[in-house]
Amino acid sequence: MISRNASLGQRLMIGAGVFIAAALVVAAVLIAFVLHRFVQGQIDQRLDAQILFLSSMLEVDGSGHLRLAGSADGPPFDLRRHGWYWQISGPNNVLRSRSLDGADLTHPDISGAPPPPPPPPRAEDDFLPRRRPAPADGPGPDGRTLHFRILTVSTPAGPATIVASSPREAVMGPLWEAMRTLALSLGVLGIALIGAMLIQIRLGLWPLERLRRAVAEVRSGLRDKVPEAQPSEVQPLADELNALLSQNAANLDRARKHVSNLAHGLKTPLATLAVSLQKQTASSEDLHDLVVLMDRRIRHHLGRARSAALGGPLRARTAIASRADDLALVLGKVNAHKEVAFVNDIPPGLAVACEPQDVDEMLGNVLENAFVWCRGRVALSSNEDGRSVILVVEDDGPGLSPQQMSLAMQAGRRLDERSPGFGFGLSITSELAELYAGSLTLNRSQLGGLRVELRLPGSA
Amino acid sequence: MKILLVEDDRRLAQEIAQALREENFAVDIAANGEDGLHLGETESYDAAVLDLGLPKVPGVDVLRGWRKHGRHLPVLILTARDGWTDKVDGFKAGADDYLTKPFRIEELVMRLRALVRRASGHGAPRISCGPLSFETQTGVFELDGLPLKLTALEWRVLECLILRKDTVVERGLLSEKVYEGDTGTDSNSIEVIVARLRRKIGRTLIETERGRGYKLNSGAQ
Repeated sequence: MISRNASLGQRLMIGAGVFIAAALVVAAVLIAFVLHRFVQGQIDQRLDAQILFLSSMLEVDGSGHLRLAGSADGPPFDLRRHGWYWQISGPNNVLRSRSLDGADLTHPDISGAPPPPPPPPRAEDDFLPRRRPAPADGPGPDGRTLHFRILTVSTPAGPATIVASSPREAVMGPLWEAMRTLALSLGVLGIALIGAMLIQIRLGLWPLERLRRAVAEVRSGLRDKVPEAQPSEVQPLADELNALLSQNAANLDRARKHVSNLAHGLKTPLATLAVSLQKQTASSEDLHDLVVLMDRRIRHHLGRARSAALGGPLRARTAIASRADDLALVLGKVNAHKEVAFVNDIPPGLAVACEPQDVDEMLGNVLENAFVWCRGRVALSSNEDGRSVILVVEDDGPGLSPQQMSLAMQAGRRLDERSPGFGFGLSITSELAELYAGSLTLNRSQLGGLRVELRLPGSA
Repeated sequence: MKILLVEDDRRLAQEIAQALREENFAVDIAANGEDGLHLGETESYDAAVLDLGLPKVPGVDVLRGWRKHGRHLPVLILTARDGWTDKVDGFKAGADDYLTKPFRIEELVMRLRALVRRASGHGAPRISCGPLSFETQTGVFELDGLPLKLTALEWRVLECLILRKDTVVERGLLSEKVYEGDTGTDSNSIEVIVARLRRKIGRTLIETERGRGYKLNSGAQ
């Protein structure tokens, strides 16, 4: 069998080779059959003509013996013991060709049927056969295989059987000769077909080779995408390749931007840190703030870089309720110094089309904010809006003023932003949500504190 | 109070250990997960500080190993992994608190103290025993409202006794909580420390249970 990863050329070659061989064999067999029939027909015609000739010359003499009106030993019936014989067996005597040289021509019984009944009396010369002679094969007097034509005619003396024979070689000889030529020409034809097939495979697979070269050129930087004009079979592959290339380029671009943002975000506080250390005037509190700032920037950019949403469209599905419970377990322990009543109102089946890690990151930041700032109550609930899921986190803490809200959503935090928790996580969450074509909105909660609405694509 | 610190960065481990010792903690350091797992299973600690990215055995597996062996000491995970999924995994493995690097050493100390206090069943941050009181969040002892000046070893003994006030603390457990792993333990020196403590807080507060250990008696005066 052809293995799954056999080359296309091999597959085509094996397929076409098998087909060509089978076609040539079938052709040879068919032609041999037709030729055999043709040669046999020729011989039969000749034997039948002889039988007709013999029957036309057949006479009955006064004593009831058969005799011929003239000589019937024209060529090839004159050559002795060559297989070309004739013989007429009458009720009272037997006439033989000269070639039989007196031997008896025994022929197989052609039908086993009784000889035809004597026809009604007719005019004296009316011996002409009404039927075609019957064929038979069998050994001749000299041992060689003969082909017979046998006809029974009625004579005034009774039924007479006229047999004419030819040697088997008379059929097979010309046949073999024709077959030799035929085999030779079929062989030449096969070779020509295989050559044509090889050329066709090369031509047919050429676009693939051209595409490979184009991809190699893309890789080595000679071109930025593969040519768009392709044979229709290769076109979808080229289109997919180009889409992949442009997606990669976009990802690379984004990654570069992240790295440069990260570098920029770290260099400023590092510079401040360096200056502060040089002067040795800064308090350890100030230095620590710089460290915290750098840490936040690292978290921010790594958080975005890690996000699976950057990779393009996704088919993820994450159930919310159980993840929210896990996060609440963490937050309950981290905030063990205060009693927080957490109410999880998410229906068990609710899911969003986001990666689990990103859901943890978004919901974790929002819930952490609520746990840190609440007085004792945090509530998580949900709405569905068409294909979107809106997760609502509310707390009974002090909440934020409109000005603080807009500040909380800004990615870069100011140095004097010292309060723990709020703000920083919300801006990451907002950016992650936007990567999923969602959003984060802040409001005042009926519980008294902050109401955070996280809109994410739903998953059926 | 004795802490097991499992951290593979030598410099950071030394810095943390030094800072904790300045706060009178006894600290044993394990530089990889395998040692951490072994120490946590065989020695007695008041709390552990555990890094997650450890050589040989990952931190989460170390924590699971301790919990599987019935070790219920409070564990604070200290790691650079700040993703919520990592946090959830850590807490599910049995962590009690989580602190991400970089961090302030004051915060680590505060959280460790709170963990140990809660683990010994004290809800309020202030523990009183007669004229003696202990502010768990700052680690300060007061006698009749005045701060008490104690050496590190004295502080460890007194802290161990006040967290278990009115119960007998066996001498062996006391020396385990007071001496670090690589220093030779001598139960006689516990007696020396107790004698010094009695001179500072009065003779009656610490009772000797002959053949067993010591008890901080809240009813005594």
